[in-house]
Amino acid sequence: MKTSITKLATAVGASVALLAAGQAAAEIKIGIAGPMTGPVAQYGDMQFSGAHMAIERINAAGGVNGEEVVAVEVDDVCDPKQAVTVANRLVNEGVRYVVGHLCSSSTQPASDIYEDEGILMITPASTSPEITNRGYELVFRTIGLDSMQGPVAGSYIASQKPERVAIVHDKQQYGEGIATAVRDTLKDSGIEIAMFEGITAGDKDFSSLVTKIKQADVDYVYFGGYHPELGLILRQARQSDVDAKFMGPEGVGNKDINTIAGEAAEGLLVTLPPSFDQKEENKELIAAFDAKGEDPSGPFVLTSYAAVQLIAEGIAQADSKDPYDVAQTLRSGSFQTPIGTVQYDQAGDMTSFEFVVYEWHSDGSKTPVN
Amino acid sequence: MQDLLYFFQQLINGLTIGSTYALIAIGYTMVYGIIGMINFAHGEVYMIGAYTALIAITGLATLGITWLPLVLIVALICAVLVSSSMGWAVERVAYRPVRGRHRLIPLISAIGMSIFLQNYVHLAQGSRNIGFPALIEGGFQFGSEDTFPMSISYIQITIFITTLICMTALSLFISRSRIGRACRAVSQDLGMANLLGIDTNRIISATFVIGASLAAVAGLLLGMYYGSVDPLFGFIAGLKAFTAAVLGGIGSIPGAMLGGLILGVAESMTSGYLSGEYKDVVSFSLLILILLFKPTGLLGKPEVEKI
Repeated sequence: MKTSITKLATAVGASVALLAAGQAAAEIKIGIAGPMTGPVAQYGDMQFSGAHMAIERINAAGGVNGEEVVAVEVDDVCDPKQAVTVANRLVNEGVRYVVGHLCSSSTQPASDIYEDEGILMITPASTSPEITNRGYELVFRTIGLDSMQGPVAGSYIASQKPERVAIVHDKQQYGEGIATAVRDTLKDSGIEIAMFEGITAGDKDFSSLVTKIKQADVDYVYFGGYHPELGLILRQARQSDVDAKFMGPEGVGNKDINTIAGEAAEGLLVTLPPSFDQKEENKELIAAFDAKGEDPSGPFVLTSYAAVQLIAEGIAQADSKDPYDVAQTLRSGSFQTPIGTVQYDQAGDMTSFEFVVYEWHSDGSKTPVN
Repeated sequence: MQDLLYFFQQLINGLTIGSTYALIAIGYTMVYGIIGMINFAHGEVYMIGAYTALIAITGLATLGITWLPLVLIVALICAVLVSSSMGWAVERVAYRPVRGRHRLIPLISAIGMSIFLQNYVHLAQGSRNIGFPALIEGGFQFGSEDTFPMSISYIQITIFITTLICMTALSLFISRSRIGRACRAVSQDLGMANLLGIDTNRIISATFVIGASLAAVAGLLLGMYYGSVDPLFGFIAGLKAFTAAVLGGIGSIPGAMLGGLILGVAESMTSGYLSGEYKDVVSFSLLILILLFKPTGLLGKPEVEKI
């Protein structure tokens, strides 16, 4: 009796396993992990919108090697603790490819889990150099690095020949990383850094900081961080008649800064990836976004689209669903995507990615600065 | 001269933020003084006050009403009404049923309420920062434009004056009015006050309503001062105000005012002369130091063992 129960259990177990394998064969699950809620949810919207479009178009064209691509969406709220939780959930759901996460501080702990579990991850937005410098095999990105963005901002400020510059950051991986890169570039050009200071993300009162900036009598203020804090700083600085020019990374460049800062956002300088949606070769894709009533102009829409496309092409070219084979293919090939030709180095970074300086306007539009 | 102006500018920044801490701290200290529990949902009541004021202002703007005094008064009335009914409801739903139980039970209930209200606003209003229109703009300037002009904005002056009025009104109310006298009696001995014919339930509700109204005033003022609100807005402010209440001596109303001002000035001086990164380190070290030497806070009275 005992043996028959064991046999039965084994049989049931085996058939469940078979069933699971059978299901997995019919579709390719791609996890999309980013903030659906929380203070930076609008970036998550860009990510989900881009990834959805890519999945729809891939499926409409017959899927990957005849298999349908299915999205598994999770919300990490841009919180490192939550990121670990959702990464584990993706592992449990049997996802083997992830597009995400968005905030560097979430991507970092999540990528540890993916690497350990043999899941391939492409982040469309995290720019912290730390993410790809740990020798991981399965971690890629479709965006540049802080170490590229910082120097672009730093050399732009240096080219304006300011006498003194203030640098403020939010003490988080992303913000402090870029701020440090900007500081180093400016120091190399011999420009005086009047202050280099951290604030607490989530704070509302920046009156002391603004007073300090005013007293330091600087020409430029560089802020490493996201728009909720910079928006308030801009607004409070304008109320105190600070006339310095403000500049920030792509984390501040979205329309929500206008609702917070209002008129004070006029003239803000932002380093952003070039407007991929303005490119001639993306016309047909942009029309598809317009037809859905979605805005493809956000900085992470097309990087997310490209991330999904790379996973799909990687699987198709490798003719294998093993993430390690796909990673190998991605590293060796060259891919045409809406963000240009993508080639990877050994670390999982794109061999070239460009950042451009834009001037932000109080109506939420932007113009490139030359 | 320039350094002096800089010092005064930081002092004004600190006093502005400190007076709003004081307004919120009153809510913590009054509730503690009367029923000996910490109302952790108080920061959320403040946040809801700010949201209500914003909704009222936006509503009036769509109706085409922009006359400033009217807008402010309507926003204030709406914020106070919604927040105080919220304060009343919180007490009825989450604290009254567990009153008199072990101390931890109302504490857990308060934290639960705080999480509930935060997430409720998340769902109802979205989790993004919403811009708050700057209704009161401009200010005075001292000193020359080329060195360091010190400025006091009208909104900062409004915050001082409103806080002053609220505090004076509250002190008069507590010391002179019938309900105020009953409040003091209840805080001294709840059981005895009950025996002497005071409707203690009503007095406790009144305490929550008063605290919530002041928090709503702070919500409107700070919303205008900072320029944006989000659902987590109340959490940090609540924590700071709670610290201010403990610093000044929890249970003592003048203590809450003093604690708020000290905390605000300590914060702005630290970010002004040291670095913004040390702001919280310094203010919480200050709290620990004061509690080491005066465990009841600056103006708190030691609790007398009742026999």
